[in-house]
Amino acid sequence: MSDETPVKAVQVKLVLLGEAAVGKSSLVLRFCQGDFNENTSPTIGAAFLTQKCRLENRIVKFEIWDTAGQERFHSLAPMYYRNAQAAVVVYDITKAASLEKAKAWVKELQRQANANIVIALVGNKLDLVSESSSTPATVTPAAQETETEGEDGEDDSAEESITPTPATESDDARQVPTAEAEAYAKESGLLFFEASAKTGHNVGEIFTEIAKTIPFDTITPEPATAQTGNRRSAGNHENNNVNLGEGQQAKKGGCC
Amino acid sequence: MSLPLHLRSYREKSKDELSRDFFNAPSQSSLPGPSDPPSVVKLRERPYKNGQEELQGMDINAVISVEGKEEVYAGRLSLLPPFLCFISLDRKSCRCTIPLYTIRRVERLNSRAGVFALSLATWHGMRIILQLTSLLPTAEHFAILLRDALKSQLSAMKQLKPFLPSMYSEYLLSSPVSTAAGVQSTSDHLLLGTELGEKQTTTAVAHDGEGDLRGPGGEGKGIYQRGLGEHFGFPGDARKMRERSKMKLWREYFMIHGRNLTLLRYPPFQRLLQVGLPSRLRGELWEVMSGSVYLRFSNPETYGLLLSQNAGKQSQSTDEIEKDLNRSLPEYKAYQAEEGLARLRRVLVAYSFRNPELGYCQALNIVVAGLLIYMSEEQAFWLLEVLCDRILPGYYSPSMEGTLLDQRVFESLVHRCLPMIQEHFVSVDVQISVASLPWFLSLYINSMPLIFAFRIVDCVLAMGVKVLFQIGLAVLKINGEALLEVTDDGMFINLMRSYFATIGDSAHPDHPDPRVRAITNFQELLVVAFREFNVITDDTITAERRRLRAIISDEIEKFSKRAAVRNLKNIGRFNKEQIGIIYDHYFSAICSPEAGPSTYTGNALPGDQFDQPRIQVDAQGRVETRIDHRTFRVFLSQLATWAREETVTTNAFIQRTDRRVADHELIDRLFFAWDSQNQGTLSLQDVVLGLDRVMTAGLMESIEWFFELHDKDKDGYLTKDEVIQLSESLLFIFRNEPGDIYLAAVSKFILNAYDFGDATAPEGSVDEKVPINGDKETASGARERSNSSAGPHNLPYLNLATFRMVVLADELLENFFASDLTASFQLEQTGDEDYHQAHQRSEGLLGGLMNLVVTNENKNRLNRLADGFGAALGKHAEWRKPSLSKTSDQTISPSQSTDLRARESLLTPAQQAGQFQRQRSHSAVSTTSTKTVDSTETATPDEKRSLAQVEARYREESEMVKAAQEAVMHRPNFAIDAIGDSDDEGEPEGDDEGVMDEVEAFLKAHGADDEGLKGEQKKVANDLLTAEPMGKKKPTGDLVDL
Repeated sequence: MSDETPVKAVQVKLVLLGEAAVGKSSLVLRFCQGDFNENTSPTIGAAFLTQKCRLENRIVKFEIWDTAGQERFHSLAPMYYRNAQAAVVVYDITKAASLEKAKAWVKELQRQANANIVIALVGNKLDLVSESSSTPATVTPAAQETETEGEDGEDDSAEESITPTPATESDDARQVPTAEAEAYAKESGLLFFEASAKTGHNVGEIFTEIAKTIPFDTITPEPATAQTGNRRSAGNHENNNVNLGEGQQAKKGGCC
Repeated sequence: MSLPLHLRSYREKSKDELSRDFFNAPSQSSLPGPSDPPSVVKLRERPYKNGQEELQGMDINAVISVEGKEEVYAGRLSLLPPFLCFISLDRKSCRCTIPLYTIRRVERLNSRAGVFALSLATWHGMRIILQLTSLLPTAEHFAILLRDALKSQLSAMKQLKPFLPSMYSEYLLSSPVSTAAGVQSTSDHLLLGTELGEKQTTTAVAHDGEGDLRGPGGEGKGIYQRGLGEHFGFPGDARKMRERSKMKLWREYFMIHGRNLTLLRYPPFQRLLQVGLPSRLRGELWEVMSGSVYLRFSNPETYGLLLSQNAGKQSQSTDEIEKDLNRSLPEYKAYQAEEGLARLRRVLVAYSFRNPELGYCQALNIVVAGLLIYMSEEQAFWLLEVLCDRILPGYYSPSMEGTLLDQRVFESLVHRCLPMIQEHFVSVDVQISVASLPWFLSLYINSMPLIFAFRIVDCVLAMGVKVLFQIGLAVLKINGEALLEVTDDGMFINLMRSYFATIGDSAHPDHPDPRVRAITNFQELLVVAFREFNVITDDTITAERRRLRAIISDEIEKFSKRAAVRNLKNIGRFNKEQIGIIYDHYFSAICSPEAGPSTYTGNALPGDQFDQPRIQVDAQGRVETRIDHRTFRVFLSQLATWAREETVTTNAFIQRTDRRVADHELIDRLFFAWDSQNQGTLSLQDVVLGLDRVMTAGLMESIEWFFELHDKDKDGYLTKDEVIQLSESLLFIFRNEPGDIYLAAVSKFILNAYDFGDATAPEGSVDEKVPINGDKETASGARERSNSSAGPHNLPYLNLATFRMVVLADELLENFFASDLTASFQLEQTGDEDYHQAHQRSEGLLGGLMNLVVTNENKNRLNRLADGFGAALGKHAEWRKPSLSKTSDQTISPSQSTDLRARESLLTPAQQAGQFQRQRSHSAVSTTSTKTVDSTETATPDEKRSLAQVEARYREESEMVKAAQEAVMHRPNFAIDAIGDSDDEGEPEGDDEGVMDEVEAFLKAHGADDEGLKGEQKKVANDLLTAEPMGKKKPTGDLVDL
């Protein structure tokens, strides 16, 4: 809101990878709709969603490919991470094996994907372990700042995310210590977060941080024609913003 | 990590299988035979087993007609036991698959001379007249085969009565005619009725509005199999979809053309199909059209047994199914309730146990959730089997090769049919698959509103997978202009999404004519798909799949190789390339015929190579490929020179090296030593670490691992027996070395070992270094001594230090452990790069013939022939290749090697290799004849000259073969190229009309005239309807009379 001049939206192709049922779809849903749903829509191959995000003086439009986690869909993944500028590799902090799979994804991305791809490692399901046990994931002050700066009041999801999770449950569920994953992330040059799609904790930060890390100078702004190109004569909604195909009306300027 | 092994055992389907596929007739082997006890759940299709003789099938020209129907069709009648199938000449007007167990009576008709006609009466009295128009002896032979096949089905006929009530159509037809009349009047009324709104009312209407269709008894009276829709309501507005009229038309259709198991497809069938099947009949028609009903008929207990026998079992598949249950068509009411979810769970779980190598694949949850709305669990289960096995082969398998292949086929068809779109997508770097993949995987169920998606499913199950392609192409064509403005994935996806969201809207909302306005986007889609893309036939798909399969298979193999290599936790001291080579050998060993009978046999079916213990599930439930020790022998023979027998044969024509897998205890010792987790199998990781130890070892390390290999109880001592075994291992490695220096060295080693051993052995002499429990050892030693007269052979005897001393005492052995042993492991490329494409190159018309001729057996025969000529000329020689490269450079069998060298000067190595290859790819006939000619020539004194001639001849011939092959390779392209041009020709008459205007189609369904036979033939056929059966003396009369 602070900047007055119309800013060009920069498109960022982002892909979500990770073992089945670590909560990839839930993370995206939380980010794009501020919603949590135990029964997310099925992912066949990959689901496609978009979300805009204001960052300092530019608008970043995330085009998110939420891939299927089942092992046999692995060979289809290159189709989705091709040309991606960012990747979120998700694991479940209550399942040690899911981190191993995440590491395999990171390796694959580093070898097969874009050279400049920004990768974030995200341990999901923080709500299943008590707050006290683990140091909360790195939330840089800068990220917080951007978030509060974020334009209009539609960021209920972000608001929610700041509220701490109730520390009622025991920590038995945690199988991946924060320090271990963080060390791995640092060593491999990844952004690192622990988050909860259920509570929304840290979800917005993932995307904000990614947006800040991407070298935007190398990305061409979204062509002007793109906005009008996807209109069809047959009465169709504007879909230059969030549209999950769930029959939900597109939100305006949703931001993190 | 599980490897895509099944790709290499793929084989094209035989003609018989293809025609069974076309008629949806399951093979005999997938149906239980009389000898199978009913309590045993038959595994999925296996090669035909012993005991049961396969009934012979046969094709014959015939003319078909049905009582009560004017049309008469000429076509091809196929006996595919236990089915009798017919397809009209135009391959679309008339078609049927009749199980022989539904035929109650067959008679030969008494008619004009020269006409051989059979009258078939089905159990419900439908009479089908078949004129066999081939020559009389052929017709008689056919009749005899038919009689045998009919007899074999006598027992199955008894199952018919209990089975039939499961079909809704029986219930429908058993309801009084007066009800049907009532339907007619009310349906007219309903057509005029006000349009009712959305789903809530829809279900209500569906429930009470159709109550009268169920007859006086109402719901629950019939025991037919029903889907969730009967309780939870079917998707869509029953009125808008004109359920009643459709139901009435189907009822009338059944009266004349047979129903359920005996359903004949006459032209009205196609129209009734394309306007959408009525909800209540849909499940039954799905299983009838796809042929899954035959499986359900023949395996009445399988589904229940699968569930009861696997109750409570957990697997990776059941876990994955559980995760997806709640996201399978969650918008449909039944899947918000436990009953719907329980049904869905049971079907998916039962199938995962039925077909464990497929297990469960995401997207199946959507498909099955869709099926269960219209079908019972058992119906859906069998349809799922037909989908996975036949209609969508390889779509849901662990490597999803069918999906990848068909996506490539689809892209190639887009390229040919819609080149502008394809070019644009290439230019903006967008892959069509990002949108089209889910279309194919979920049969469009996940892409468009259910009522429309199910109409596509109707067509897919009736007409096959080509429908998916036709619809996909039509979607792209209709959105063509907008697609040309797409610049990235996101726009493409959004465009497709909004198209599907509005697919029920009018395609021409502003048109003045209300009839035109009434045409929806969906109807337009069907018209475009079936009119403009009717050139996409089953043959097109088959040809494209054949062309692209090898490329896809190679890609999948490379992909899993990369992943497997990347996922190794420890690659030792190898580099990436070396690991790649190890992987290739590992993989090719598994696929090698020597690795076991279950792999890669001629007619292996996809499941076969998954026999234990090659696939194991690890603690985390992941599937892993591992090799057993038999496969390991093959693997090691590819790497270690001493683990194979190499016979080099030279004769006047050629030098060839035959490799065999060697067998020795030493190899098994290595296997067990590398099996770090004592699983009895080795993973790729085990093999890499094992090789790392032996291939990078220096002198001392080599001595150490070789020692440990023979120290079975790992106590740091070899027993006397083990010393002997170790010497035997050495002798095994040295077995092919020329001269006797190695033999001498090993003899000396044994002597020395005993000398030093006696001096240092822990037993007998006082040795401070004994690290073991003395009491126990003495006790067991004493027992051994008393038990065995052979003396203390099983006692600790020689330790590592002593062994090392003994080895170092001999220069030859020292050298062996210092370098030769390490060097005997060689990482050479397997030459399996692009395996599938390399093998495909020899396919095609001519190549296929060659593949038949150049079997291994023929190759061996050819080799023997060549050897024979060589021997006759005195030029035949065989020698064993030594294992240790070091000595092979030096002096081995001097006469032979000079002989060899002389030849090498004639043929450069490259030519030699080429010659060998050519010999493999030539048809045996041509090569042999060439050789025969050459052999006389070689008998001339000037051997040099004749060899040059052979060479030239080979080269010439190979050019010809190459040219021929190239010509063949190009053929499929021509066939496909035609697609682009033929857009305007041959529209299916009548069909699209039915789609364009549904109401009109209904009216026309009664009296439409379709291209049947005219004139004379028709008259004959009509005469036959009234003809009398012949007397019982006639050979084929009264085949079965019950």
